[in-house]
Amino acid sequence: MFKINISSIIFSLKNLKKTLFSNLFNTIISLLIILFISKACFNTFEWLIFKADWKVVTTNLPLYAFGSFPPNEQWRPATWIISLLLLSILTLCGPEWKWLRKNLLKVWVGTIPIGLYLLYGGIGLSPIMSRHLGGLTLTILLTICSSFLSLPFGIVLALCRQSSLPFVEKLSSIYIDVMRSIPLIAVLFFGQLLIPLFLPVGIEIDRVWRAIFAFSLFVSAYIAEDIRGGLQSIPNTQIEAANSLGLNQYQIIQFILIPQAIRIALPALTNQSIGLFQNTSLMAILGLVELLGIGRSILANPEFIGQYIEVYVWLASVYWMVCTIMAVLARNLEQKMTINQANF
Amino acid sequence: MKINQKIFLQFGICIILFCLIGILINNLTVNLIRTGLGFNFSWLFKPASFALAEHPLPYTSSDSYAWALFIGWLNSLKVIVSSLILATFLGTIIAFARTGKNSLLGLISAAYITIIRQTPLLLQLMFWYFVGFLGLKDNMFIHIKNIFNITNQGIDFSGLFFSSEFLALSLGLSIFTSAYIAEVIRGGIISVSRGQWEAFRSLGLSERKGLIRIILPQALPAIIPGLTSQYLNLAKNSTLAIAVGYSDIYAINDTIINQTGRAIECFIILLFSFLLLNLLITNTMEIINRLILNSQKHT
Amino acid sequence: MEPIVIAKNLTKSYTKGLRALDNVSLTVNQGKVLVVMGPSGSGKSTLIRTFNGLETFDRGELSILGIKVNSTPDERKIQKIRRRVGMVFQQFNLFPHLSILENITLAPVHVQKRRQIEAEEYGMFLLSQMGIDSHAKKYPSQLSGGEQQRVAIARALALKPELLLFDEPTSALDPERINEVLDAMRRLAEQGMTMVVVTHEIGFAKDVSDQVLFMDSGKVIETSPPSIFFSNARHERSRKFLNQLDNH
Repeated sequence: MFKINISSIIFSLKNLKKTLFSNLFNTIISLLIILFISKACFNTFEWLIFKADWKVVTTNLPLYAFGSFPPNEQWRPATWIISLLLLSILTLCGPEWKWLRKNLLKVWVGTIPIGLYLLYGGIGLSPIMSRHLGGLTLTILLTICSSFLSLPFGIVLALCRQSSLPFVEKLSSIYIDVMRSIPLIAVLFFGQLLIPLFLPVGIEIDRVWRAIFAFSLFVSAYIAEDIRGGLQSIPNTQIEAANSLGLNQYQIIQFILIPQAIRIALPALTNQSIGLFQNTSLMAILGLVELLGIGRSILANPEFIGQYIEVYVWLASVYWMVCTIMAVLARNLEQKMTINQANF
Repeated sequence: MKINQKIFLQFGICIILFCLIGILINNLTVNLIRTGLGFNFSWLFKPASFALAEHPLPYTSSDSYAWALFIGWLNSLKVIVSSLILATFLGTIIAFARTGKNSLLGLISAAYITIIRQTPLLLQLMFWYFVGFLGLKDNMFIHIKNIFNITNQGIDFSGLFFSSEFLALSLGLSIFTSAYIAEVIRGGIISVSRGQWEAFRSLGLSERKGLIRIILPQALPAIIPGLTSQYLNLAKNSTLAIAVGYSDIYAINDTIINQTGRAIECFIILLFSFLLLNLLITNTMEIINRLILNSQKHT
Repeated sequence: MEPIVIAKNLTKSYTKGLRALDNVSLTVNQGKVLVVMGPSGSGKSTLIRTFNGLETFDRGELSILGIKVNSTPDERKIQKIRRRVGMVFQQFNLFPHLSILENITLAPVHVQKRRQIEAEEYGMFLLSQMGIDSHAKKYPSQLSGGEQQRVAIARALALKPELLLFDEPTSALDPERINEVLDAMRRLAEQGMTMVVVTHEIGFAKDVSDQVLFMDSGKVIETSPPSIFFSNARHERSRKFLNQLDNH
């Protein structure tokens, strides 16, 4: 092992010499870049360690994580987030426990009702209102619930767009195209304003769930197009084979088309959910105190005024971490599938 | 029989849908009557009575809402076009750095792409605005004989003034979009077969010349569609202007709704403004695409 | 006993003048093996695909397992036929997202509403008959072409069909993999399975088939027992075709 490492280091050093210092011009450029990088790194570290005042982050850690969740109940969102993190690690390591490996997807889906129960309370736990939700907890809740709602809706839209019924096909095309042509912030804003207007008098949905529905309506149009791409790339012979086995139209959709379309569209779908996670930050402009919103309200506190850089750098690194975890999980999932289906 | 079934099914769906829409519209009218607002567009011609910091055409607060909306649309167009050009320029450079031989440049551009793509655009915009421009002290920056002045108000380039809102927005949008454009261009370059690279190298062409003369023209047909969709995203993302206080079409709609409560009408207006912007972008790109295809046919 | 397949004057034209099927008539009796041969584009695939409703025809009469098929397809009748007729394709057409065993149990469980355990037991039995029961948990892409085609045969058998259709089952295989599939088909014929096989494999046709049907440009040129067809074909066209095959 060790030997291989040394030789590979030597190899990469030689390679480095070839790519960086092949001629005078390249050498000068490379040296300039090295100078630039080291200067930038030095300045950044100097700032990170000596100049920055991290009190704005350290004293507010519970706020960033849970918002204004009642302090003695904060173990609930904490349990949820930690269990999500553990599950991610377990998924990445490839669990040894056979039962878990088989039911990984079900366990992931199961985290949604458990999370909702932990956050909102109910039987056995004291109930918590939506307005107490905030910080990373709210960001994750928005992401997970919206993606969970938008996937089935997106699939239905994609199937409708492929339908042989012209009316159904036109209707879903219009929906998808209109949704894809308007900006998300508009959908969210009008979701907050218009959803109550369309509901009968007396029924009300709180801001968080209005946001979740608006996100779902928006994202499902994009998911529909990704799924449609997947559907179109399934060869016709698959349908013939299923037909000759006597499967009916709905069974073909359920067992042959949708599973394959989702697998093909998986990279695009994971990008959608990473995008969704980032875009939940738009709710900060629309009055929810999710991760970015909490940052803004902390910056509005006179005690921490003007410490923009610290807060933004901190928030950026949190977003970056979660996005990277999501991306790594997604890549892991894709690889597992390509091992199973090399010619896919 | 099968055709009858189809018609029957569609008819059923129609009825269900009409019922649903009927219920929604009923709820809507009940709610609108309750709040005392009807549905009409006559308010468009009343004076807007709010000021706009930035207006490419003359505007005062006594002008109509319609004119204010048009100014907002122009402001949107201005920021979209300027960041579109800057983003393409940046994206191309990063793509070249990423596909080139220099591994250090590759490393830097990879880091740039992951940092930009894995953090929310809104956060980046706020960063550029609050840290990049508002954070500037007067003494911090360059005054070159009153030709090129940078302050926390913006940049004054020999009388041509760009506000810090506009600059933060277009800079943030350009940097964000450039990371995506770089990936689109890289994808296009990768899609050209390896044989082409070997071919121009064996002819003794330099890396740079080969890339520009041989590889890029072949990659363009694969790049243009991806570029178009990134431009459309950029247009949509430009509505985050509201976070830095730049008065684009969405921000003005927002102000009007706060003033008048006309949410439905404004939603329709916004929808059509964006349809117009999208059409503009897709058609321009279509023309560019055709020009490229034509020029390639000739050579 | 009524024949399994009766076709009378089947005619199908794609565009004007070009006929995929031109007055094709044939019968296949219970337990018999019919081999269909002919140059590519002669309509052999089209012919057997009409037998389970994957293709329609314009004129003529067709009766499969006693069920009459009209030129205007009746979904319910075709579904009934498909439950009793198995088909094996040239490109295997296994479902790539399902494991081998899942490929086989899909139709029994969801079409015939059998119990999962029962279907799996029978599926394993079929796989062991095909000699690939060790691959049950794998996915199609992890198997060689020959193995995939044997899975496809097992999948078709899982519905306990009364008629098996083979559409050039060995044409997409490497030469050294062809025999493992042909052997499996031979065993099926020995067990008394009624089969219609489109193939270019002369050896298989000689040994196994009861009748050889030779087609060219949509027409049936001749139908003879293999002993006659391969030694002393009645038609000039057939002899020419056989010569070309030999030269390969």
